[in-house]
Amino acid sequence: MAELTSFSFHPGTSVLHKLDVRFKILFLILISFSSLGGGFFGLGLLSALLAGLIIHSRPPLKSGFKEFRFFLILLLLILMARMLTTPGAVLIEIKAIAITRQGVLSGLLVCWRLFIIALFGFLFILSTPSGQIKAAVEWFLRPFGFMPAKHIATMMGLIVRFIPVILNQAKETAEAQRARCLENRKNPLYRITRLAIPLIRRTFEQADRLIVAMEARCYSENRSDPDLSVSRIDWIALFILIVMSIWIMSI
Amino acid sequence: MDIIEIKNLSHRFSDGTLGLDQINLRIEAGAFVVLAGPNGCGKTTLIRHLNGLLRPTAGCVKVAGVPVQKDPMRARRLVGMMFQDADSQIVGETVYADVAFGPENLRLDQEQIRKRVADALEVVGLTKFADQRPHLLSGGEKRRLSIAGILAMEPKVVVCDEPFTSLDYPGVKQVLKQILALHQTGHTIVVITHDLEKVLAHCDRLIIMQKGKIVRDGLPAEIVADIETFGVRAPCAAQLGMEVRSWLN
Repeated sequence: MAELTSFSFHPGTSVLHKLDVRFKILFLILISFSSLGGGFFGLGLLSALLAGLIIHSRPPLKSGFKEFRFFLILLLLILMARMLTTPGAVLIEIKAIAITRQGVLSGLLVCWRLFIIALFGFLFILSTPSGQIKAAVEWFLRPFGFMPAKHIATMMGLIVRFIPVILNQAKETAEAQRARCLENRKNPLYRITRLAIPLIRRTFEQADRLIVAMEARCYSENRSDPDLSVSRIDWIALFILIVMSIWIMSI
Repeated sequence: MDIIEIKNLSHRFSDGTLGLDQINLRIEAGAFVVLAGPNGCGKTTLIRHLNGLLRPTAGCVKVAGVPVQKDPMRARRLVGMMFQDADSQIVGETVYADVAFGPENLRLDQEQIRKRVADALEVVGLTKFADQRPHLLSGGEKRRLSIAGILAMEPKVVVCDEPFTSLDYPGVKQVLKQILALHQTGHTIVVITHDLEKVLAHCDRLIIMQKGKIVRDGLPAEIVADIETFGVRAPCAAQLGMEVRSWLN
């Protein structure tokens, strides 16, 4: 268990760790919208902000990218689909396949957008304990009386808590299967089935043990939530991000 | 005074298997009890009735005079439980958050939570790891973290289910020291194990279970002689007719 997944909270003292979780959720929404609405210049600006935050907060980039590899493959597929299906000025043509300039540009734009949003999400998970996410969700849902805020927040908190557990189980199961030469089987369906069945069983068993342990420590939906407090740094960050978003969207 | 009273307790699982069969047991406050027996004899099933994690099919369990069924939350507060798999007991993302989990469930205010967590971490010697991710701790440290999580709820009884499993020698000594320290501060200790070697020198009562029943109950020195008849290995020293010595010496 010593080598845990990077998709979980990492304690630290960076600005990201100090920001109020409610503001961080707002920032994520703002960044997502400006990323979706912005062009190359806006994405460059967001990338610069992202680079600054990465340098400052020093996340475990190496292991992070390792776990991002499937997402990167997805981005590559999106890029290829865009390159091959968007009409425009042909750059390269091999038989019936044509790669267009517009396709390359639009593919790069979409991939860059998704990559930026994913990386900001990664930084959010890294710098925010799941207890705080739960408390923030509950705070946001409080005005909507018809929604079971505590219930939804508890479920979200547990999901966030379980992502690293599931990823860890997947890793261990895959390693155990590689040790028994599963790689010699070329049929991907066979390999996926062989991985999925024990993974689901082990995840449920682990969930079961965790539930018993939580119950033994009096777990309920009504518990003391962490203190959420807003400081000057949150307002300054919000101001900067609003200005930045307006600028990106208006270009 | 008996802190735990069990009367005619039976438990039948949903598949029809009888897990516990007419158990009668009293445990005095401040006692150090070892519960031993082969795999599947009902040890874990029995202790899960002490804080209402399992409901009896028949019979009654009382903790400090009150039936567990009547107030399970009270029983869970009074009976702290350390599980066999320390990793699955960890729910917090930092050592501090994990210890705070119990007090948060008791709806204490943040000041009280901070105090309880600080005290519990100090007792188990993990204060300097407060901001660390618990999964990076060693096996022995994880067990001590489990103990801290229990202590933060201020229980009267501490139940340890196979506390020495997969620990190296220093890890066993760390955990054993901690359990003895808890006993010295007045906690009632119940240790479940099938490996008596590590703990027998310290307990004042040994209970042996087999097929859901208590088959022996008394002083360790009196019971250990024919213990292997029940599928539990006797400590080496006992086999050689010597006194069982502590692992801490």
